Amino acid sequence: MIKFWQRRVENSIVTRHLEFDKDLEDIKKELKSKIAKKFAGSLAIRMVSSGSCNACEAECNALSNPYYDLQRLGIHFVASPRHADVMLLSGVVSVNMYHHVLEVYHQMPQPAYIITLGDCPLLEGVFKENFAIKGADSLKLPISHHIRGCPPEPKEIIRGLLDFLEDFM
Amino acid sequence: MKQIKQHRLIARFAVENSDNFEVITIFDDEIQREKLDKQNPTLMSISPKYTTATWFERKIKDDFGIKIEGSYDNRPLVHHERFPTLNPLRKDFQDRSLKFDDFTPYKYEVVKGEGVFEVAVGPVHAGIIEPGHFQFSQEGERILHLDIRHFYTYRGIEKSLENTSLLEAREMIERISGNESIAYQLAWFDIVLQASGVEYDEKLKKYHCLLLELERVIDHLTDLGFIPNDAGFGAALSFASQLSEDTRVFLKELCGHRFGFGSVGFEVKEYDKDRILDFLNVLEEKVRWFEDWIVDIPSVWSRFDTTGTLNKQKAKKYGVLGVVARASGKRVDTRDNLFYKKHGFVLQNETVGDVASRFKLRIKEIYNSMRLIKNFIDEPSMVKKPVKFCDGEYMSFVESSIGELFVYVKLKDGVIDRFYARDPSFINWQALYLMMKKDIIADFPLINKSCDLSYAGSDL
Ligand code: SF4
Repeated sequence: MIKFWQRRVENSIVTRHLEFDKDLEDIKKELKSKIAKKFAGSLAIRMVSSGSCNACEAECNALSNPYYDLQRLGIHFVASPRHADVMLLSGVVSVNMYHHVLEVYHQMPQPAYIITLGDCPLLEGVFKENFAIKGADSLKLPISHHIRGCPPEPKEIIRGLLDFLEDFM
Repeated sequence: MKQIKQHRLIARFAVENSDNFEVITIFDDEIQREKLDKQNPTLMSISPKYTTATWFERKIKDDFGIKIEGSYDNRPLVHHERFPTLNPLRKDFQDRSLKFDDFTPYKYEVVKGEGVFEVAVGPVHAGIIEPGHFQFSQEGERILHLDIRHFYTYRGIEKSLENTSLLEAREMIERISGNESIAYQLAWFDIVLQASGVEYDEKLKKYHCLLLELERVIDHLTDLGFIPNDAGFGAALSFASQLSEDTRVFLKELCGHRFGFGSVGFEVKEYDKDRILDFLNVLEEKVRWFEDWIVDIPSVWSRFDTTGTLNKQKAKKYGVLGVVARASGKRVDTRDNLFYKKHGFVLQNETVGDVASRFKLRIKEIYNSMRLIKNFIDEPSMVKKPVKFCDGEYMSFVESSIGELFVYVKLKDGVIDRFYARDPSFINWQALYLMMKKDIIADFPLINKSCDLSYAGSDL
């Protein structure tokens, strides 16, 4: 473990010197204060993948790496819809996932918000409605916000969450 | 006793011709074709001999309505509870949307007995992962059996690609499985070249292979973090996820996209060679540090060792692929050829087949991939973008970060008549339950992650 702490001291906090992205810092600050005001400091997200290519999920996973470290801002990906404020929906809403997505939504405590992630859910990308694809509109649930991209990069997801907090509340 | 050599089953799928259904079965050393009558088509199952034929045959039944005889498992595969009785891959099926049918319960394969209970997991999981269902039969903590049910991300890709041109098809093909996007693009590109008769330019090929290795490095690095994380060692995730993020950012710098979408094309522009070398040197130093650090953490290895073992014999019997196969001592890698060897490829192997083997194998493969990348660095180049394609059947094999990917395309009248892709996960998923036999349910996420199979790729 000694090795680890040595390395840890050498590296310091990586989020502090994000060479590859300067303005992320500002977005994060703003986001943190919005969450503090509107969600009492903690925004719980339930990620539901409803027929995606997995790149959108990979980008969400990247949000927890030390560069973006979303947890620091009070954003948590939670394991149950019953703990969630927001459903982050990726994928095309396949025929085989349709009813499961509805079920997740109905298990969320109200008020529950849906944010669609990536071009897939609104069928804006290469996947269009067919016998196996329904699209998020077919769920007839209120969609509060949409984050574009194929896949949206981690920074764009963070930006999107901020926009959601701004427009919505 | 004379030993009968078992061929390796690569894929089994059906194609609809104007006057029959044709079932094509690809083995490692031969291709078999069976023509079936359109009235009442029936196929003899080969699953008693080739276990992994089961999913292929269940899929054929759902897709085409071909009856399977002599199989012990006739449950629907792709079509779930509310999917109407339709065979969407038949040419006469052209509906654009689908009306749900009544709910028909799915019968899970479970163990019954006193004190035995079931645990259902999925399709929506606790973490940020794709949907799939796992039905465990438990005797207390111990797993007696695991029945896997997938195809929640079934997007009808095979049908959607029909009647599109080969060049147009690329956008969808690269989005079949995001983590293997470059591998899928390489298979697509290979078929484009075959169908147009254009020769693969060596420099271009080297660039494409460079991208593929970079994708493999990213995927392996991601797993190096997530596997220990599932054993409760989060510090590894923090460290390895930095490395995979660095590499992803680097991939974007090189080709313009974090997952390499749209990166495999007909041209390679000038790129900064020193930048690649510098990047790799720094990365290699970090990976070496990581390896050196984690081998010394006993609590991690006590979870990894002997967990989720797949022995070589079973690995052979099921014809598993990629990392899972090589960790069990099976020497199978599509890259095991002259071109790759010339650039420094060495087939990496482990022997035990447990989580530890798969973890160690990934580290070894990262080093080899980095060496390959260095040797693939070359000058800009291009080939002419083809416009005309010859009708016919084309196949391609590419080693994705998961294992051997197989893609089949049949062109007719200049457009795709049938597209089929067999992701390595499609085979490996069927062998996953074998790894559970001696373990407890708490080990499942760890074992599953150590194989890191794709749901989207196998679901199509
Ligand atoms: S939006 Fe793009 S990246 Fe995201 S799941 Fe869909 S195809 Fe994949």
